[in-house]
Amino acid sequence: MRDINPRRLAGWTTANTLIVVVALFPVLWLISLSLKDPTTVADGRLLPAKWTFDNYNGIFDQSIFTDALRNSLGIAAIATVIAVVLAAFAAYAIARLEFPGKRVVLLASLAIAMFPPISVVGPLYDLWRNIGLYDTWPGLIIPYMTFALPLAIFVMSSFFREIPWELEQAAQVDGATPMQAFQKVILPLAAPGFFTTAILVFIFAWNDFVFAQSLTSTSAAQTVPAAIASFPGASQFTAPTGSIAAAAVIVTIPIVILVLFFQRRIVAGLTAGAVKG
Amino acid sequence: MRLVTASLSTVIVVLALAACGGSSSSGKTATINVWAGTQPGGSFQDAAKQCSASSNGAYTIKFNALANNPDAQRQSLVRRLAAKDSSIDIVGMDVVWTAEFAEAGWIKPFPTAVADRVRTGMLQGPVQTATYKGRLYGAPGNSNTQLLWYRKDLVSRPADTWDGLIKQASALPKAGRFEIAGAAAENTTVWFNALVASAGGKILSGPRTPNFGPPVQEAVRVMGELADSKAADPSLAQQKEDQNRLAFQSGQAAFMVNWPFVYPSIKTAAEGGDKTAKQVLDNLGWMPYPRVNANEPAKGPIGGFNWGVSSYGKHKAQAFAAAACLASARSQKIYLDKDGLAPTISAIYDDKKTQGIYPFYGLIRKGLETGAPRPSTPAYSDVSLAIYSTLSPTSNAAKPNALDELRKNIKTALSPKGVL
Amino acid sequence: MSTSASAAGPVATRGTEGAAAESGPPKRKALTERARAERKLGWMLVAPAALVMIAVTGYPILYAIYLSLQRSDLRFPNDTAFVGLSNYIAILGSSRWWTDLFHTVLLTAITVSIELVLGMMLALVMHRAIFGRGLVRTTALIPYGIVTVVAAFAWRLAFSQAEGGFVPKALGLSTDPLNSTIGIWITAILAEVWKTTPFMALLLLAGLALVSDELHEAAKVDGATAWQRFWRITVPLMKPAILVALLFRTLDAFRIFDTVFILSNSGVNRNVETVSVLSYNTLLTRLNLGLGSALSVLVFVCVALLAAVYIALLGKDTIASGTGAE
Repeated sequence: MRDINPRRLAGWTTANTLIVVVALFPVLWLISLSLKDPTTVADGRLLPAKWTFDNYNGIFDQSIFTDALRNSLGIAAIATVIAVVLAAFAAYAIARLEFPGKRVVLLASLAIAMFPPISVVGPLYDLWRNIGLYDTWPGLIIPYMTFALPLAIFVMSSFFREIPWELEQAAQVDGATPMQAFQKVILPLAAPGFFTTAILVFIFAWNDFVFAQSLTSTSAAQTVPAAIASFPGASQFTAPTGSIAAAAVIVTIPIVILVLFFQRRIVAGLTAGAVKG
Repeated sequence: MRLVTASLSTVIVVLALAACGGSSSSGKTATINVWAGTQPGGSFQDAAKQCSASSNGAYTIKFNALANNPDAQRQSLVRRLAAKDSSIDIVGMDVVWTAEFAEAGWIKPFPTAVADRVRTGMLQGPVQTATYKGRLYGAPGNSNTQLLWYRKDLVSRPADTWDGLIKQASALPKAGRFEIAGAAAENTTVWFNALVASAGGKILSGPRTPNFGPPVQEAVRVMGELADSKAADPSLAQQKEDQNRLAFQSGQAAFMVNWPFVYPSIKTAAEGGDKTAKQVLDNLGWMPYPRVNANEPAKGPIGGFNWGVSSYGKHKAQAFAAAACLASARSQKIYLDKDGLAPTISAIYDDKKTQGIYPFYGLIRKGLETGAPRPSTPAYSDVSLAIYSTLSPTSNAAKPNALDELRKNIKTALSPKGVL
Repeated sequence: MSTSASAAGPVATRGTEGAAAESGPPKRKALTERARAERKLGWMLVAPAALVMIAVTGYPILYAIYLSLQRSDLRFPNDTAFVGLSNYIAILGSSRWWTDLFHTVLLTAITVSIELVLGMMLALVMHRAIFGRGLVRTTALIPYGIVTVVAAFAWRLAFSQAEGGFVPKALGLSTDPLNSTIGIWITAILAEVWKTTPFMALLLLAGLALVSDELHEAAKVDGATAWQRFWRITVPLMKPAILVALLFRTLDAFRIFDTVFILSNSGVNRNVETVSVLSYNTLLTRLNLGLGSALSVLVFVCVALLAAVYIALLGKDTIASGTGAE
C-alpha cells in the first residue's frame, strides 16, 4: 500500500460518510417512525420517545398488508420469469445472430423504455374492465413484463456479448453435440446474466406504482406500493402514519438484502458490464 | 303487523328466487358481499353477523373492508363498478354518491315494498340523501352532523353566529383558535354547503343549475373572515377533521366545528393519561352548528353512509333484504353502541341509554331534522372538486375574485366537458 | 416513437444486408443457406419480445387516441358520442393543463440538473475512492432499489408537520412545510433527487469506467491538476454516456408520478401536480375516459417531442454508441 496522504484519507472518509448517511437517513427515519407509539407518532422527534412493536403487529393483523405482500411477490416473480425468458431469446439473437430488423428491435425497445406509462394506463383500464382482467394478476403481469423488457434485453445482451462463443465451438470440436455444448459451456457462463437481469426486473416490478394503483383495487391483486398508499387508519379521521412506516420498512428489507448480496452484479448489469466490481 | 307482513313477503320473495335457481353458493344461502370502510369498534361487522343470523338462512353477509376515507373508498369502488365487478353486492355509500352511482347505473333503486319499510321512522335529512329522482337508492344506515364544540373555561357563552364566534376567539389572549377543516378536500365542500344553506340558499337548484345569489356570496364572505382572522389555525389549509381534533385536544383552541367522533377520541386520550386532553374534556361544551344570520337557525351538514345494492351482484333480492336489515333499528343501535355513529331512526334518540352515553345527541337529532344535504347531482365529485379547489386554501375566499373563480369553476364542472 | 422506428426498418434492412454482403465475396443475389437460417432463427427468437412490446404499448396508445376523440365518461354511460377534437381544445384551453405542464417541466429541469452534478460526484466516488468502494456502492443502491412510494413517504413523513415530521420541529417552523408551495416543491425535489441520483451515477459510471487511467497518468506527469484533468479528459470522453444519461433521466423525470402523488396526499394538494397525476385523476378518479385519454395522448406527444429533440441534437449515432446498440 502506498503511503496515503492523511488529507486525502480524510477527504475520502468525509465523502464516503456523507454518501452513506444521506443514502440511509430516510430509511432510518422510517424505522424510527415505525417504532413510535401511536400516541407520540406526531411528536416530531427524531428518536421515539416510547418504543413499541404495535405498528408491526397491527399491519400483520389486517389481511390488507399480507395479501398485498403475497400479490407483490407472486406478480413480480411471474413477470420476472416471463420477461427474462423473452429477453434471453431476443438478447441471444441480438448478440449472436445477423438478421435484418435488429436495429429496429433495439430502437423499439429504446422507445418503450421512454414510454410514459400513464399514457397506457387509461386504455388498459378500459380494455381490462371489458375483458375481465381488471384487478387480476395477469392484468398487472402483462404491463410489467412489457415495460421490463427493454431493461432486460439491454442487460442480457451486454452479458451475452461478453461470452466467448469460441468455447462453444471448441467443445463441439471436442465431440460435444451443439446442444451439449450449449448446455455445459454456454449456459453456466450466461447464468450470471440471467440472474442479474432477474434481479433488476424483479426490482422494477416490485417497485411499480402507476400500474398497480390504476389496475387493481382489492386484495385480489393489489401490490404493496398501492396498498401502502391507501392504508386505512384506525378510523375515518385518523392518519395511519405508524402503519405506513412499518409497512414501508418491511417492504424495504428484501431490497436491502438483494442489494447487500448482489451489489457487484447489479452494478455490472446496470453499467453494461463496464464496471465489474 | 306491517313488519311481519314485510318480513314474510321478503322471505317468500327470497324463497321464490332461490327456487327459480341461479344461486351460485351451496344450497339456498346466498353470500352477500358488503364493501364499506371499517369502523374502529367493529360495529359494521357485528351488524352483518346479526343480520345473517336472523335471515333464516336466506343470506350470509361477508364484510369486506375498504380504505378509511370516503375519497379512497369511492376511487376503489367506482373503478370496480364500472368494470361490472360481480363480487360486490352491497356498497357502503357516502351520502353524496347517491346521484352519481344511480345515474351511472351502478346501483339499483329499492323495490317499493322494501323502500317503504326502510323509510319508516327515519329522519328527513338522511332519507333525502339516499333519494334520487324520487326513488330510494340506499338504506340510510347511519348519519352524522357537525356541532360547535367549545371550551367552557375559556368562553362562558359562545356567540350564535360565525362572525360572533370569530370575534370571540380573536379576542382571547391565548388558546383562541377556531378549528375547522380547510384542506382541499370534501371537508371544504361540507363547510361551504352548510354555510350556503344556513344563509337560506342552495348551491344547485337542479342537477345542472348553479345559484350564485346572496347566500353563496355570504358563505364565501364568512370563510374569508375566518381565514383572515387571528383565530384561524396556521395549518388551516392543510387540516382535515382529525388534525382539528388533535389541535383542540392539545388545548390550543377555544372553538371547533367538527363531527361527534371527537368526543370519544378526546375521552380516550384523557383516560389514557393525557392531562391536557383531560382538562379539555372536563370543560367540553357543545352547541348547534353556528348560524350565518343571527335570527335564522343554521342548517348543518349531513354526513353518514347509505347501504346501496350493486347492479352487478348475483343475489339482488337477498341484497335488498340485507341492506334493509343493515339499516334497521337493531343494526343502528349496534353502530351507536360500538362506534358512536348517529342513528337515522328518530325513535332511537328517545332511548335513555343513548342520551346517557352521548349527552349531545339531542342536538344531533335536531341537526339531522333540519340539516341540508349537499347538492344531489351525478357530477357531484366534479362540483365538489370545483368548490374545494377554489376555496382551499381558505384564504382564497377572502380574495376579491373568489366569487368569479367559484362561478367559473362550478359552471365548468357541470358542463358535459368535465373538469380537470 | 414506434412509427419512426418502423419507418427506419426497410432502410436498416438494406443497410445490414449490404454490410453482410461486403464482408465476404460479393453474393448479392442469393443468401447462403446458413445466412437464411440465421435470419429466420433471429426473427423467431426476437419475435415474442417484440410482439409483446408492440402489442402492449401500441394497441393501447391507438385505443387512447380513439377514446380521446369521444366524449366518454363512465359516470354517464349513455352520453358517449364522437366529439372530434373538442377534448383537446378543452385541455389546451384550460389553465390547469398549462400550470401542470409548467410544473412538470420545471421539476424535470431542476431535478435532472441537480442529479447530473451529484450523480457525477457520486460516480467519481464509486470509481475512485481509495477505500470503501463496495460500501459506497451498496448504500448508494438502496435509494435505487427502494420502492418509490416508500421513499416518497419517508420524505413526506419527515417534512409534514401534521404527520409528525422531524424537520419542522428541528427547524422550528410554525407552519407546515407541506402547506406552502415552496415547501412542497423543495420536499419533492429532495425526494426525487435522493431516489434517482444513484441511477444517474451508475449510468455515468459506465462511461467513467471507460476512460483509461493511462491518459490520467500521462496528464499528471504533464502537471495537470485534478480539476483540469476532469474537464479536459474525463468529461469529453464521457460525452456519449453523459448525453445518454441525460436523455433517459429527462424522459424519466418528465413522467414523474409516484413521488408527486404521495407528497400531494394522493393528488389532493395541487401545488405540485404534474401532467401524469392530472391524467391519472381524470381517467381513474373522475372516470372521464375521453378527457383523460386526450391527456394521455398529449403526455405521450410531449415525451416523444422531448426524445426527438434530444436525438436530433445529439445524433442517433451518439445514442446508439452510448447505449452499446451498435
